[in-house]
Order: sequence, then C-alpha cells, then structure tokens
Amino acid sequence: MAAETRWDVAALGQQALAYADTLHNLARYLTGNPPDAEDLVQETYARALRSLHQFTPGTNLKAWLCRILRNTFVSEYRRRRGSPVIGGLDTVVPVPDVAAREVDRLAKIAAEEIEAALMTLGEDARTVILLDLEGLSEVEVADVLGCAVGTVKSRLSRARAALRQRLTSPTER
Amino acid sequence: MNCADARDSILAHQRGTLTAGDEAAVRDHLATCPECARVDAAERALGEALEHRLPQHPASVALKRRLAALGAASVPARRARPRWLAPAFAAAAVVLVTAPLLYQQLVLVPRERTLVLTEAVNDHLRVLLSQRPLEVESGGIHQVKPWFAGRLDFAPVVNFGGDTDFPLRGGAVGYFLDRRAAVFLFTRRLHPISLFVVRADGLPWPSRRTEATTRGFNVITWRGGELGYALVSDVDVSELRTLAAKLAGEPV
Repeated sequence: MAAETRWDVAALGQQALAYADTLHNLARYLTGNPPDAEDLVQETYARALRSLHQFTPGTNLKAWLCRILRNTFVSEYRRRRGSPVIGGLDTVVPVPDVAAREVDRLAKIAAEEIEAALMTLGEDARTVILLDLEGLSEVEVADVLGCAVGTVKSRLSRARAALRQRLTSPTER
Repeated sequence: MNCADARDSILAHQRGTLTAGDEAAVRDHLATCPECARVDAAERALGEALEHRLPQHPASVALKRRLAALGAASVPARRARPRWLAPAFAAAAVVLVTAPLLYQQLVLVPRERTLVLTEAVNDHLRVLLSQRPLEVESGGIHQVKPWFAGRLDFAPVVNFGGDTDFPLRGGAVGYFLDRRAAVFLFTRRLHPISLFVVRADGLPWPSRRTEATTRGFNVITWRGGELGYALVSDVDVSELRTLAAKLAGEPV
C-alpha cells in the first residue's frame, strides 16, 4: 500500500512536469519577468508536490496546477513584492471611429504588440485569457480564479474586448 | 437576445459549444446587429492573433531539471521515517551508492566527494519540501545558535547572522549521512539557501572552498576546523559565493 502510494506520488509528480511550459508561460505573463516567473513555477511545483494527496484523480491536473500557481502568485509573490495590479479594471471605452479598422489592424498586429497589450491588462483579465487559450473549460477556469462559473464567460468577454481595444487604439493605453 | 448577452456568447458561438437554442438566438442577433457582427469579426481576428502570434515562454531546461529534482525527492520515504532510523538508512544508502552498478560514476569522481554533494542536495530538497522546514524561526543568529544547544553533539560555528541581501530565516536539526547536522536557512530573493554544518571527521570535506553543480543546484563545501560546511541553492553561483564569503567573515 505504502509502496503503491509512493509510486502514485512519484508518477503524478512526473506528470506534473509535463505542464512546466504551461505554468512558466502563465507565470511569465503574471509576473512580467523571467526570474520571478521561474521562482513562481518552482514554488508552485514544490507546493503541488506537498499537496499531491489532495489532487482528485480523473480531474484536470493542468487546471489544478494553474490554480496553485495563481494562488501562490496572489498570496506570496504579489504580497512580498508589493507589485501593483497593472492595468486596473478591464473597462472598454467605445471608440467608434476606429471600429471599422479593427479587424484589419488585428490581422496585422505584431507578436510583441500583443504581448505588450496583454501585459497592460489586470491580472484577472490576463489570467482568464491565458487559461482560455490553454483550453481550460469554464468550470476549470472558475476553479482557478475562485469565481462562479457564470462569471467566467463575462470576464473573458470583457477581458478580450479590453485587449482588442488596446491593440486597435494603442494611444488610449 | 440583447447585445451584452450576444457578446458574452460570441466565443462559444465561434467554437460551436452553444446549445442549439442559444446558437440560433446568437445567429439571429448577429444578422440584425451590425455592431455585434463587427465584434464577431474582430473576435475571430483576435483569436487568430492570440493563438498564432502571442509569444510563448516555455520553461528553461535548467528550470525543468530543478523541477525534476524536486519531484525525485518528493517520495516521502525518508522524511516520514523515525529519526532514530536515520543512521541505518544512511548506512544503507552508502552501500547502495558503492554498489557495482554505479562503478562507472564512482571512478569518474571520488566516491566520498560525490556522496557529500548528493547528500547536500538531497537534504536541501528535503528542506524545500518539508511542511515545516524550520524548527526555530529566526530572530537573528543569537536566537538561532543557542537553540541548537543540547540538540547536537557539537556547537555549529556560524558567525554571519544574515542581512538584507541574505536574510536568515531560521534553523533546524537534520541528518547528513550518518550524523546530525545543524541546518540554517537563508534566502536570496525568493530562493531558499540551505547551510548544513556537520562534524567533518571521516568525511572527505575539502579544506578549501570548493564549488560544484549537482542536478541544477550549486553547492559550495569547505572545512572549518573540525566542522564541514555545505551551502546549497539554485541561486547563481556568484551569489552563493558571496554568502560563503560572508559566512567566512571575509570582506565582500
């Protein structure tokens, strides 16, 4: 029994390694710099290993790890560093004169512009966009963010609208 | 369906995850609302930009190696065993390491030196993974050092009590191979740094400061009188070197 449990923990720890890239990408967009992102991932992994017995087999390991990463970021990193929430609320100000050019502009946007615009959003907005890109379901995103499932859809919609606006009217940032 | 509801459902509409009823309602709305139709088109363009052009930041090989080392040390056998069994397990570890299967590795590097480095990294990982790595929280070196009295068969000589660059978090008693060790935990930014102080008799502790890298961790070992010192962390070796110099009382 003990040996089996030990093997399970080791196997689960090994599976968790497969999500190192996902976790690091999320950490990089949350912290905004490589050294802090690596610290955050390492702390996330250490916490996950300590809590593997709490993981429910059959559920999404990636979503579980993302939740630990975000909680670690909120509880440890942000508090220690005292870093402000960048971007604040993800409000969208109507800019009718640029509306017609929006699709053209988005089709030509450069990679670094997308990254820069994403970093101007608030943490929750960045997180919901990235988790959605990772293919997490609304239920899983809600679990990571600690909000109601019904809230995820509107948060994602607002976050993407705010991102579109920053990309298509960069002077408004 | 109003515009707000339609826009919240546009992504699900594009991904084909709406129910038949909701899908029909969104389609009807988009057909009659130019502004929401524009948002629909812009959302498609944004989706394409995010999925194909948003820079990705994968974990470095060095980070993955450190995570793997954490995982390898997470098997709870050693942490969970009673302390009085530690010498027996350490002896068993020595036997295992000297087994023929590891012969090739042992001829490349001195066996005992490898043992010391491996044990230093393993003990550092156990500190990281411990639920309660510290048995005494630091209120300064003058609070931590006296705490070891009566818990060790030697007095750890550590004259650096931490500073703003390398704050001392506290201490604990651990095992290093077959003997007790004083464990001091410093930090550098968010990186934990373990200092192990043990009796050096019978172990090939280098008299001069010696640097090594094992499983992604930097290790600096040196000897001070009868005591052996091992400093372990994933911080850059230059930063670990600075702490080693401070511990030795050298000007930095």
